[in-house]
Amino acid sequence: MALAVSVVLVSCSKDEEISPNDKNAVILEFDNYVGNEKLVLDTKTYKNAANEDFTVTTLNYFVSNIVLKKADGTEVKFPNQYFLVRQADTKSLNVTLKDVPAGDYTSLSYVIGVDSLKSTSDVSQRTGVLDPASYGTDNMYWSWNSGYIFFKLEGNSSVATTPTKKFQFHVGGFGGMNSATANNLRTVTVSFGTTSAQVRKDVAPTVHLITDVLQTFSQGVSIAKTSVVMNPAASKPIVDGYTKMFKVDHIHNDKM
Amino acid sequence: MNNSRWRLVAVSLSFIGWLASCSILGGEASPEPLFSVPQGFPEPTYDLSKNPLTNDGVALGKKLFYDGILSRDGSISCGECHNQSHAFTHHGHGFSHGIDDQEGTRNAQPLVNLAWQDSFFWDGGVFDLDLFSIAPIENPLEMDEKIGNVLQKLRTHKDYPRLFKKAYGTEEITTERFLKALSQFLVTLVSANAKYDQYLAGKAQLTADETAGLQLFKDKGCASCHSGVLFTDHSFRSNGLLPEYTDDLGRYRITENPQDKNKFKVPTLRNIEVTYPYMHDGRFLNLEGVLEHYAGGVKETGNLDPLLKQNGRFGIAMTKEEQQKIIAFLKTLTDQEFLTNPRFAAP
Repeated sequence: MALAVSVVLVSCSKDEEISPNDKNAVILEFDNYVGNEKLVLDTKTYKNAANEDFTVTTLNYFVSNIVLKKADGTEVKFPNQYFLVRQADTKSLNVTLKDVPAGDYTSLSYVIGVDSLKSTSDVSQRTGVLDPASYGTDNMYWSWNSGYIFFKLEGNSSVATTPTKKFQFHVGGFGGMNSATANNLRTVTVSFGTTSAQVRKDVAPTVHLITDVLQTFSQGVSIAKTSVVMNPAASKPIVDGYTKMFKVDHIHNDKM
Repeated sequence: MNNSRWRLVAVSLSFIGWLASCSILGGEASPEPLFSVPQGFPEPTYDLSKNPLTNDGVALGKKLFYDGILSRDGSISCGECHNQSHAFTHHGHGFSHGIDDQEGTRNAQPLVNLAWQDSFFWDGGVFDLDLFSIAPIENPLEMDEKIGNVLQKLRTHKDYPRLFKKAYGTEEITTERFLKALSQFLVTLVSANAKYDQYLAGKAQLTADETAGLQLFKDKGCASCHSGVLFTDHSFRSNGLLPEYTDDLGRYRITENPQDKNKFKVPTLRNIEVTYPYMHDGRFLNLEGVLEHYAGGVKETGNLDPLLKQNGRFGIAMTKEEQQKIIAFLKTLTDQEFLTNPRFAAP
């Protein structure tokens, strides 16, 4: 079967030969925007759909269970790889997938959050970005309600009802361990459009995603109405909003 | 798996620990196993294969448990709110006092027979003993520290790198090693030698009142929820308490299911005599108050447990005398050996 697939690939690629053993990296670049403006933490003020002003002090989200898909429907999966995109940490905005088999990929899907299997795993499985000790005061783990914060958006707004004018959206909820609870795990699928990501021996494509943080507010979310959200069930409109925020802008297939 | 096999595992573990402690330290062997399944107890929920107990691991966990280094300013250890003499509850406090003398919002639960629990805290928000310790450490009203900071402090401490090496083979201090050391100590907190246990084993006799109390405990339905040798079925139920001075809705906070409003974990009754005050908010000062509640104080909470509204009546019909007998029985669940065992004591 592997041989058959490689034969098809070879015959389809016009410009160069793909050897079945060729591998390279694919980089997913998460470029966070608010509407048409590049996201700048702390200093820049934006407006949401409800015409509420806000700044962003924190934007973090988990990306996991990444799948790259070829035009013929075959998939390459990246299980047990968890990435935390943190706006405050430039390096984290580039997610690198290693050892991707050479081929032409046309779409990408991933889960925003940490799947239930990992969310209920032994503490020995919780390393790297999943270590509850990570990130100090900006941690992404709920100690009182075992689970990860999948998505965190914090900032200031003149309409916030908190004494400090701070708003905080913390979204978690993997479905519950002992009882069924809200499940805010969502799979996002983004198409690469007319350009494919062409992984070759000497090409490690970059998929440049542009996200629009404003989408978080697109399903009727208002800072004045709820300035602090930390309950999985109450988070649904936020989840429905941010699930829409990812688009592939363009792809770089530059030779190394 | 049957009990004898678990006992064998426990015994072999302790034997390995004994060998290790003798070969490294030349120390004296502990005559007791670190953990064993008491006669009549079910198989533990906690997976010991993922965290095999060793003498050095348990000793490390105990040192951490009694060390204020786990809190932001070094002032509060786990043992501060979990006193052995009160079955690891906070000696008489309705709400425990944490850092900066702030009050928490719930009555500290006993740390007893944790290896058999499948969820932790009054609302069951944590489902794994290894993840349990993070909550009090990070709660701003309790220890107000971050796990990452705790690990940093331990790494630069004069003793801990050496103690982690003894327990785990290298000086590396990770989240997993830290939490599992605490779990090792917590798992050893087994209470199974109360007068009631001795009675079951044929080694002690109950008084007439205690015997009558045991019968009433079964007949009146107490044992429906406080069931088995653990004296809890681990469920979440509303026992007729409406929020009074907190807005605590219990299990609802975790599940956000309206049917879970006012439901709280059924607590174990082992050592209940010394874990006063009672209920999630510590509203009852003594066992008399608790029994009076069940006899005449049960309110419709919206989700009142069906067992507490039978035959068109709220609560459980009990005379004063019957209540006294049930209390007499409950006091047979006090395990002096557990409450005074030097293995668990503050250093």
